[in-house]
Amino acid sequence: MTRVRSIKRSRLLSGTGRYALLVFFGLIFFVPVYYLLVGSLRPGDKVLGGLSALVPSDLSLDNYAGVFNRFSNDTTGYVWQFAGVSLAVTAMVVLGGLLVNSLAGYALARMKWRGRNIVLLLVTIMTIIPFEAVALPLYYMLSGQRNTLYVQALPFLANAFSIFLFYTYFLSIPVEVEEAATIDGAGPVRTLFQVVAPMSLPAYATVAILTFLGQWGQYLWPVLMITDTKLRPLPLELSVFQNAQPPEWGPVLAFGVLFVLPVLVVFLIFQRSFVASVASSGVKG
Amino acid sequence: MTLLIRSQAERTAPPARRRRRLSSHSLMGPVMAAPALILLAVFLAIPFLGAIAMSFYRLQLNSTRAPRFIGLEQYSRLFADPDISAAFLHSLGNNFTFAAVVVPVQTALALGLALLVNGKLRGMAVFRTMFFMPLVFPLALVAVVWRLIFARDDHGLLNSAISLFTGGSVGPHDWLGSSATAMGAIIVMSIWQSVSFQMIILLGGLQAVPHDLYEAASLDRAGRWSQFLHVTVPGIRNTLIFVALLTTVFSFRLFDQVYLLGQSGSVDIESTQTMMYQVITTGYDQNNIGQGAAMAVVFLVIVTIVAVIQRRLVRQEGSIR
Amino acid sequence: MTFSTLRSTPRPRRRSIAVGGLAALVSVALAACGGPSASDSPSAASNISAGSGTGTLKVWALDGQSAENTAIQKIVSDFESSHPDIKVKMQFLPADSFAKALQTSSPADLPDVLEVDGPQIANLAYGQKIAPLSDYVSEATVQNQTDAVKGQNTVDGKLYAVSMMNSGLAMWGNKKLLDKAGVTMPKSASEAWTADEFTEVLRKLSAVVPNGKPLGIAENNGLSSEYGIYGFSPVLWSAGTPMIANGKASGALDSDTAVNALKKFASWKQFTNPDGDGTAFQSGQVALNWMGNWMYPAYDKALGNDLVVGPLPNFGKGAKTGSGTIAWSLGGHTKNGAAAGKLLDFLMSDPVVSTYTAANGAPPATKTTAASSPLYGAGKPLAFLRDQLDAACPTEDRLTKQCVAVSRPVTAGYPVVTSSFGKALTAIWGGADVAASLQAAARAIDRDFVDNNNYK
Repeated sequence: MTRVRSIKRSRLLSGTGRYALLVFFGLIFFVPVYYLLVGSLRPGDKVLGGLSALVPSDLSLDNYAGVFNRFSNDTTGYVWQFAGVSLAVTAMVVLGGLLVNSLAGYALARMKWRGRNIVLLLVTIMTIIPFEAVALPLYYMLSGQRNTLYVQALPFLANAFSIFLFYTYFLSIPVEVEEAATIDGAGPVRTLFQVVAPMSLPAYATVAILTFLGQWGQYLWPVLMITDTKLRPLPLELSVFQNAQPPEWGPVLAFGVLFVLPVLVVFLIFQRSFVASVASSGVKG
Repeated sequence: MTLLIRSQAERTAPPARRRRRLSSHSLMGPVMAAPALILLAVFLAIPFLGAIAMSFYRLQLNSTRAPRFIGLEQYSRLFADPDISAAFLHSLGNNFTFAAVVVPVQTALALGLALLVNGKLRGMAVFRTMFFMPLVFPLALVAVVWRLIFARDDHGLLNSAISLFTGGSVGPHDWLGSSATAMGAIIVMSIWQSVSFQMIILLGGLQAVPHDLYEAASLDRAGRWSQFLHVTVPGIRNTLIFVALLTTVFSFRLFDQVYLLGQSGSVDIESTQTMMYQVITTGYDQNNIGQGAAMAVVFLVIVTIVAVIQRRLVRQEGSIR
Repeated sequence: MTFSTLRSTPRPRRRSIAVGGLAALVSVALAACGGPSASDSPSAASNISAGSGTGTLKVWALDGQSAENTAIQKIVSDFESSHPDIKVKMQFLPADSFAKALQTSSPADLPDVLEVDGPQIANLAYGQKIAPLSDYVSEATVQNQTDAVKGQNTVDGKLYAVSMMNSGLAMWGNKKLLDKAGVTMPKSASEAWTADEFTEVLRKLSAVVPNGKPLGIAENNGLSSEYGIYGFSPVLWSAGTPMIANGKASGALDSDTAVNALKKFASWKQFTNPDGDGTAFQSGQVALNWMGNWMYPAYDKALGNDLVVGPLPNFGKGAKTGSGTIAWSLGGHTKNGAAAGKLLDFLMSDPVVSTYTAANGAPPATKTTAASSPLYGAGKPLAFLRDQLDAACPTEDRLTKQCVAVSRPVTAGYPVVTSSFGKALTAIWGGADVAASLQAAARAIDRDFVDNNNYK
């Protein structure tokens, strides 16, 4: 398809005007990010200095050293330990989520069974329930499982919205492909993972990235469930510097950068495929 | 949402094919769906039933007293007790205000940005990256950074910038602390963080509009604006609706930004508190679990109603086309 | 056995009903699927025992300033060397999740020894997260605690915590700026500026500071946070009203006295520098700073000889200051009470308290150490703050004109007190009607008290 030509036609602005707008919005979006980055490299009392806070002077890695020194033994925990917990929990949620949610999405999109319509309706309704609304009853239910790694991940494995995304994507795939597999004697699970999943990489990528972004900053649940230093994820430690008297803005921002850095790196590497995947996944309507 | 998307997806397939599902394994359907459904039931549905049960009790966190059954008192307080209902209804109002502003503004902005970054242009990758970056920010960090930007003295980045551009004639403003601008400030940071996600979805919609429609339009000598109105917008109509629905549901969940700012700074609570904020502060900070649970239940009922109404509206319009 | 007195209290049984009832509630929901069971099972037996006096102690400490953390780790390792048969397993928890962690912990998770935030002691005692400790720490340790911290640490006549340090508020001044405006800092609580005089002082000072806002109140701490009630309840006390009188907030927190005092306080916003990063006083943009002792090291470093200190304004019934801070308690379910008591005794010993308070600059909370403190001892730079703390009011509802240091209300309903007061204070500072805000706060507190049978 002559995509480039069609796109040229579809846009309202061209040339300079478009660049001007891009630069304008780009700056608006980038300034807070830049502010975080520069602030993390400057002394804490220079963070709040109006526009001069954006000038990259007095740069040093002191704030980062401060963060790592602050967490430097078993009593305080270690930065890499918090990051490791966050990574492990996020990985469990992402991988487990891809598995169970795609299975459910496939069963809803392609298989006929009693109660399917009701389940579909219930799943849709469940996309609306915010986790915070059920956190307290859940805390009572799971209080025996406190201070474990898996309890941080379990409630987030199944996700109604992910099921829903898979469901819509699978609907858009031509059935013939699967019918061929069925004739070869493959069961639905094998058909899903050997035939449908490879064709649905955009959907899997979208769900993976959304889950990762949502899980990485998870705060309320670990507050309720985790007291053991060894099992605490990153977000719980952000407040350590912020609640200091006076707030240690330098280390706060340095910790913030360390907090988003892994996500940002992953994101920049996969940016192209991310855009392609979200853009082409089922949600395009 | 479901109906919308399904009808759209099925529309693209030939009618005969639509009914042919792989139905030979009638037991496998429930089996494959089971892991996710059981997890959803255990970790979402049952706790929610638990919340409903709790809402009929007087129940305090960290209390040695037995929970006491009090029937519907928690609910009657939400609507009849002057203090509690005032705060609760105010929060409800704030939620609607937030949604009423964010849904159209964020959708429009997302569309604008999608149009801007659609296509090949030198340096486009850089711009896209700039737009996407906020998406990777966890809300806890969003609150920290924007709290500094909105700081109420002339040391705040925003106040300082305004002062520079107006030559100092406009003095510093307390963006988060003033009831007139606090919600606006929260809206700005929310849109900043999440608009690029909507932008990506719309970008996908734009790229799927068949290009011969544009050819036909330009043969009719339609101008750019006319093409946008008569080809682009109808072409991405379903995507737009999807984005708006998604934004609505998420805007009713607004909580983290308000809560985190309230804990650490001087945000005007009155004009920014939301229903989720009430649920959390009542249940966790004041230990009043029963009351918090009742709020959660009412909240969910309201959001479900909003979602159902939206879906009705959309479905009816969809049938007209 | 020493814990026989504990067993005679009715609470253990009530607890079992509470947990049992909740378990029943949740099990209704659980019955549908047979999911994980609520294992927070009731234990009707007495909650703590002395144990062997040896073994491993689990300790939770607050993740505080770096210097405090370093000091406390050193202290604990010293304890282990001097008590070879006791091992300590300590971990830090960040402040904002610490309180929640305690509220939501089941008995099995609770440590043997823990740090607690002073005003939360009554609530934690009510929930049996901490236990009375007089039977486990030595008589000498108890005797050596200052009256000001005993007020905070005592609930219903029982001591639930011991303190290494205390805290206090003061008005910190930049002498250079004060001189420039012709203002002299009062030297003692009895000479404190009246509220009207203070307005006048601010007016004079606004001429000598760069942006015309000479007062700092550490707004960056968040007025709806715990700092709000700590920092500004002295306004009410100084006007002569407690927050809670006879178990009710109505008539106290929303009295005319309270309304007028907070109106006056809110009128100073026009003179207040927002001070987003807490450095305005150090950098000379603020002439007077309403702040706690913990900022002294930073102020001293920045201002040196220009730093002067005096009382908060007098709203009519004598200048007052807040008092109280983090203290040490015995876990409400410890099975190692004897060893835990040894650790608490060690923490309260003179050399340890000296080391610790030297690390963070806080006023020592033991009589012997306070007297010899290089900062707070007689004639030393912060002797003024110790004088204030020595003149402690017994409780916030027994105020006199002469007593100065006041602990926040000791009540199991404290969570709702602090959250309601914080909300009202934030609204008032933002310009809301003072009387309406305080009345709403008082109603919210009283409603919670009634709902909980006055926490009896």
